[in-house]
Amino acid sequence: MLRAWQRAFVACGLAGLIAGILRLRGSGGTPPSRGGWRQLEGPDLR
Amino acid sequence: MRIAVVGVGATGARVARQLVAAPEVTEVRLIDPDRDRLRSVAKSLGDPAVVGGPSYDPAVEVDLVVLASPPGRHRLQAELALGAGADVVSTADSVEDVRALLELDEVATERGRRIVVGAGFSPGLTCLLARHAAGTLDVIDEIHVAKTGTGGPTCARQHHRALAGGAVDYREGAWVQRRGRTGRELCWFPDPVGAVDCYRASLPEVHLLVPAFPGVSRVTARMSATRRDRLTALLPMMRRPHAEGGPGALRVEVRGRRGKERHVMLLGAMDHPAVAAGAVAAVVAISLRDADTFAPGARGLADLDDPVPVLRALERRGVSCAVFEGT
Repeated sequence: MLRAWQRAFVACGLAGLIAGILRLRGSGGTPPSRGGWRQLEGPDLR
Repeated sequence: MRIAVVGVGATGARVARQLVAAPEVTEVRLIDPDRDRLRSVAKSLGDPAVVGGPSYDPAVEVDLVVLASPPGRHRLQAELALGAGADVVSTADSVEDVRALLELDEVATERGRRIVVGAGFSPGLTCLLARHAAGTLDVIDEIHVAKTGTGGPTCARQHHRALAGGAVDYREGAWVQRRGRTGRELCWFPDPVGAVDCYRASLPEVHLLVPAFPGVSRVTARMSATRRDRLTALLPMMRRPHAEGGPGALRVEVRGRRGKERHVMLLGAMDHPAVAAGAVAAVVAISLRDADTFAPGARGLADLDDPVPVLRALERRGVSCAVFEGT
């Protein structure tokens, strides 16, 4: 019984670790720190 | 101008609606295999919309054909239209259709006809924004496109297929094959869409942007996907696609130099993809009335010398774009 629990914990731990690695892979993700989106209008469309 | 609209789904119906409101257009011939849908769209539009047949008939004379049909048939329909002496505007969003249409460049040039490839939300508005951003720089080094959201059911199915397919990046003058659903990047779209995780997918932008910007060293395209999208991409769609997607958004990042300084231009748009795609296709179709807008041949909207008149016409139709100012 104890062995089954140990296996379950190890399996969950490994799944979490793999999910974490997959989630962290990739680039970007830095939120804009200043400014924002502004509608293109008037002088921008000349 | 007599225009045939092939396919009156979420995007085609929007194209037709924009066209019937244009004073330059004297006839909008609607073509779709679904007779009930065809009649109901024609009835809702009124004059000058007329019910055509279930498929495009080149014997019926029109000046221009707008292709808003499901993927896989655009090249054949474009060839028929070219044979009948009509210009073509295609809203194709699959890599296969876009490449097949670009291959018609020589035929179209010989016949003095124009094929505008990918005149929708993405590709389409993305290419216009890339050209507009490029106009502010002296040298273009990199273009990175991201999109989120889908239009009607055909668009949702294409989104599913694109995620399952392989992606292509353009890096230092070489085409690099990539696996779809990889390369996560958190992209910040115009408000209120905000930050969305985007991944590589089989998207046609790279094939349209690379020839339009000779000397560019990197071009990539990504689209948004949820965990469920990525997990089920290789399976058939789990449930029926929605009749109309919610708001979508685009983000076009152009990196280059102005003088000796490096600059990054970030343009975007937020709209319902089918509505914006309809407006883009209609504005481009009407602009082809002027022989100088496009030279004969097959090319995308990034090949326009000056995208500003099209962007202005889109703004008048309620499709507005945005620029990111900040860090």
